[in-house]
Amino acid sequence: MSDSTLILEIKGNSLDDGPGIRSVVFFKGCPLSCLWCHNPESKRSGVEISFQGDECVACDTCLETCPLDALSRDHTFFIDRERCNLCFECVAECPSGALSRVGTEMSVDEVVDKVLKDKPFYDTSGGGVTFSGGEPVLPLEFLAQVLARLKNEGVHTLIETCGYFNLEKFREQIYPHVDSIFYDIKIIAEENHKRFCGRGNRLILRNFAALYRQSQNGGVEVLPRIPLIPGMTDTAANIDAIIRLFKELGVTKTHLLPYHPLWQEKNRQIGIAENEADNVELEKWIARDHVAQCKKRFQAAGIET
Amino acid sequence: MKSFKSFGNSLNSLLVTETEAVQGRGRRKGGLNLITSVLLRLMAFQFNVRPSLRRYMKGKDGWINFSVGLKTENESVEQAIVFHDGRVRVLKKIPVDVDVIMHLTNNDVLKEMATSTPNEMLNLILKNKMVLDGNLAVLQLFNFFLSLMLGKTHQKKLEKKNREDLAARKKEFQVDKSGLAEELLERKQYRMRGVKGVDKGVSFLDDPYLPQFGIESFPRLKIFLDAHFDTLPEICVERPQLMTDWYRANGFETDADGQPWNPELRQAYALNYLLENRQPIIRENDLLAGTTTAKEVGVTIFPDATATQIWGELHSMENRVLNPCSCSKESARILHEEVFPYWMHRNIREYTRHHHDYPLCQKIDERFVAYFVWKSVGISHTIPNFKRLLEKGTLGIIGDIEYELENGNHDQLGRDSLESMKIILGGVNTYAANLAGEAARLVELETDPQRKQELIRLHEICSKIPAHPAETLDEALNAIWIIWTAIHLENANTGTSLGRLDQWLQPYFVADISKLETPAEREAYIKNAVELVGCLYMRLTDHVPLIPDIGNYLFGGASSTQAITVGGITPEGEDAVNDMTYVFLKATELLAIRDANVNARFHVEKNSDAYLKRLCEINVITSATPIMQSDQAMIKALSQHGYPAEDINDWAATGCVEPTLQGQHYSHTACILLNMVASMEMALNNGNHPVMHWDVGPKTGSIENGDFKTFESFFDAWATQQRFMIEQALELNDLFGEAHQQYRPTPLFSALIDGAIENGRDVIQGGAKYNSSGTSNIGLADVTDSLLVIRQLVFEEQKVSFQKLKEAIDENFANNPALLAMVRNKVRLFGSGDDDAVAMANRVAKVVHDCYLKHTSYRGGRIASGFWSMSQHVAYGSLSGPLPSGRLAGKAFTPGLTPNPAASKNFLDNITAVAGLNPENLDNNLAFNVKLIPSAEDSREQTVEHMFSYVKSYFEQGGMQMQFNVVTSETLRDAMANPENYKSLMVRISGYNAYFVTLNREIQIELIERAEYGL
Repeated sequence: MSDSTLILEIKGNSLDDGPGIRSVVFFKGCPLSCLWCHNPESKRSGVEISFQGDECVACDTCLETCPLDALSRDHTFFIDRERCNLCFECVAECPSGALSRVGTEMSVDEVVDKVLKDKPFYDTSGGGVTFSGGEPVLPLEFLAQVLARLKNEGVHTLIETCGYFNLEKFREQIYPHVDSIFYDIKIIAEENHKRFCGRGNRLILRNFAALYRQSQNGGVEVLPRIPLIPGMTDTAANIDAIIRLFKELGVTKTHLLPYHPLWQEKNRQIGIAENEADNVELEKWIARDHVAQCKKRFQAAGIET
Repeated sequence: MKSFKSFGNSLNSLLVTETEAVQGRGRRKGGLNLITSVLLRLMAFQFNVRPSLRRYMKGKDGWINFSVGLKTENESVEQAIVFHDGRVRVLKKIPVDVDVIMHLTNNDVLKEMATSTPNEMLNLILKNKMVLDGNLAVLQLFNFFLSLMLGKTHQKKLEKKNREDLAARKKEFQVDKSGLAEELLERKQYRMRGVKGVDKGVSFLDDPYLPQFGIESFPRLKIFLDAHFDTLPEICVERPQLMTDWYRANGFETDADGQPWNPELRQAYALNYLLENRQPIIRENDLLAGTTTAKEVGVTIFPDATATQIWGELHSMENRVLNPCSCSKESARILHEEVFPYWMHRNIREYTRHHHDYPLCQKIDERFVAYFVWKSVGISHTIPNFKRLLEKGTLGIIGDIEYELENGNHDQLGRDSLESMKIILGGVNTYAANLAGEAARLVELETDPQRKQELIRLHEICSKIPAHPAETLDEALNAIWIIWTAIHLENANTGTSLGRLDQWLQPYFVADISKLETPAEREAYIKNAVELVGCLYMRLTDHVPLIPDIGNYLFGGASSTQAITVGGITPEGEDAVNDMTYVFLKATELLAIRDANVNARFHVEKNSDAYLKRLCEINVITSATPIMQSDQAMIKALSQHGYPAEDINDWAATGCVEPTLQGQHYSHTACILLNMVASMEMALNNGNHPVMHWDVGPKTGSIENGDFKTFESFFDAWATQQRFMIEQALELNDLFGEAHQQYRPTPLFSALIDGAIENGRDVIQGGAKYNSSGTSNIGLADVTDSLLVIRQLVFEEQKVSFQKLKEAIDENFANNPALLAMVRNKVRLFGSGDDDAVAMANRVAKVVHDCYLKHTSYRGGRIASGFWSMSQHVAYGSLSGPLPSGRLAGKAFTPGLTPNPAASKNFLDNITAVAGLNPENLDNNLAFNVKLIPSAEDSREQTVEHMFSYVKSYFEQGGMQMQFNVVTSETLRDAMANPENYKSLMVRISGYNAYFVTLNREIQIELIERAEYGL
């Protein structure tokens, strides 16, 4: 129930996910399904299996272990996921970790104990713990318990959210224990949002407006972040629409997140083939001057990036 | 010559083919022996007949007589060559009194020898393919004669090697990115601002960070700095020639009347002679008078220790790939004819070999793999009491000695010791007076008015100090420097350190600046203070230790490693950071050179965050200095020895990082560099060391026979081997110490280290107030990880049998990649965040520490344990086989006790693990090496903030020491491919700083492969 949930990874020593030195807890599962997601293994809620060819030492132990004959060098992704029933016996035997489990059940206590280990570093650096994923608000009660425990220990908490949640429940259980919210703003046009992210954006934008107004009246600070995806979010139309929204709400600061294509290799590791949008732009890192141009547009509108 | 060469070449190829032919012939002496005989006879012939070679056979004291034997293990080859009274003979049997035998493990080695240069023979020696048995100086003499015969061939081979090496690197390490070298230089352009009034002890600096100054503010220093990177060091024979002349005239073991010399008096007289007669030099533009040698950058020669090791390289040092130094023909002649023959039987090693019948502990040392006992080179590694010297002057100290002679109840030995101290202080005063004379002479010749003033001032200063107390900063610095030159005439320039100069010099700074009234005058004075300290730093670089080529592979790029310590707390326990602290830090930032080796003490409760941030900033700008030291952890570590608190609080770094209670402590803080992995290899092989292929250790059990039923039984086996090795090293340390008592007692140190005068005993006899030695033990992380792998996989989880693991190790894991992967991925290593792993590391460190602690040294002192590694982690790594931890044969160990980078993806786990080590086991300090990469997007302030967080958290959790490289692997690769663009790139090895491009390839690769963490 809310006693445990699937965690992808707890990454320590992060300097990029909020102030100071932080640990980042990545949850598995997300209500959205954005095309460009740089953690594609976080989209689905269930446990998955991954294979990294670079790590394989070709010892064949897994081939001998698998009870369902689901592994083969002839298969594109090594694992035939239609046969595989996720028993993970091969993962247990794999000496190099080339085969690995994606998503581990962890309890509230286990998560809290793990992140508290680095508390001396949070204290010195003004850091803390960041919750990301996937969507951290999805396992709402679990997140609430972890946050409450950490606040009790005097740790700074931050969540990175897509905004697709029930606002009332969020306000009740999450809001009191969060020091900072990083909020993704992706696409303003609803149709496009549905197309590229799997769901509409009305709930997301409504929540954003409400939380932002609350932050201006003494509430928790909210920082909107915009992933710059070629042809999808970085179009002139979308940028202008976002700027209009920001001006309406009085937003003066945002972060721009430049696109990178590393998620494509990750997709292969979890057995997903296609680059669904067939967009050749997505094969490479976004051009620096393009990012600079976007920055200029925001700066011209008086919004700090 | 030509016909000889072609004759030699065809003989060489004959040897190669014949060697292949006799592969299996075993004990019967066959063709190979014949060919060896022929080659040696050829050499004998050359030397018997050719005048150009014969002239080398005689030295100042007559014919240079020696003999060398050559033998293969299976005795298929046995020959000897004897040089006696001008005739050379070749013998079929090695005579009993032969000076040295080259033992070759097999015939292949003989083939390699035939086709390699004397320099390349080093590799054979290091890898124990050739084992030397006897007088190492004689072997080098033999090499010298070989190099004479090979003539230009040798030079050409070396030049070719140079070119090939450079071309190969360009290919392998080329990086497709430009601007990397520029990025490093750009760091100096931006300097953070500090805030006034944060540190109580800073009274006169408005902005303690002194951002207003860049190197361009100091044209004088810029000239010195540029010269530093471009000047080739040169062998200086002044010291050995003058001293050897004196000994020749006055006797070494016995005096002119045949009476045995008191070694201390003999040293004092000889050094006094040297000090009186050496050239008094004042370098152009310098604000400090005096030099260590007579060369711009001099290589120091101490023939009573290891100087004879360069005999074979006298004509080729300038052409060697690594750290070349020039040696003029005249210098080479003087060394070969006048100096080295006098010392070839008269050095630390030979003394020990003869007096103690070539003990086992010495034989182990001469195999290079297991330990290095530094006394073969020198002791040094301590800190004189500059405070006492500056306050009393040498005349004041002489007064104290005379008082002691009058009123103390000293025996003859004591009186002789005291007399020696007096004599040498007199010599120092003479040298200073000569400098004053030189200054006066230069004044007459000088046309530039500003320089003239400076020389006039130098004349005044040298007429006053060090005989009289210093009163101003420039007097104090000149006094320190003059003493320093004398110290490096008495002692090898290896680790002697200057102490807490910020504390000792602050009173002079304050006295000077208080006399000035206007802000402009004070600002100018502060600038002058920075310049003076800069001049001291540059003077410290005027000498480098003598490194035979083999040393380049063991001690890459090390300088004299003179440590200066700043910051920390006062003896009373208060914040010690003061104006001079920041002045020294500014000089450190501006110059970014490898000497002085700056150690910054930080006390978490007493020193300010602003000071720590400044230390971080300097690490970013210089990319490798200063070292960060935690006062709390060090104080805890030293307390176990019962020293009084105020003396512990006054600790200062020595050489690399080791603690000395400055001015009162003869601490030889690097007496032994021990390879911990050697004991692990011996435990795995029932006392046999695979590289030495020698059953040198006790029999502790065979894995193949299934002798180990529990993990504890194996741990005990390792501990037994480790104790055995430590005891051997300690024995040799004591024997070499005894040799030092005879050959190189140190009256000058004794005059300047508290206790020796009152006790009437040279510090080498235990006269210092505090008396101890320190060790460095290399490979803690690798040994710990190996034990963890064995415990977890073999005994706890039973994933693999011990036999199977051993089998895989013996094959360098080549046939069991799955096991290697398991070992590397499935075991909770030291630094992984696992508490049991830290407990194991503590346990291993404790075995080492407790073993040393049981011992009392030859001069009545204790032995401390350290876990830093200089560059031995690479040297020993290259000589060690594969380990259970998954480390493959020949790979470097981790530097110091830094965790294996694969232990955790989270750098904080590494930090926490190292901080979790018990400081009591680390009383000779440690090195925790961290490579950080500043983010291009972050401001300097943000970068410093991140670094500060790491260091402060680490210290708060109990960490003792941390040192940085702030450079990317990419930049290092670019530097390997294009060394000419990176002359000034400084890196931190494992304790000391070096210039990256002067390092051997293995050390460079180790630095590149260190895990890097982004800021």
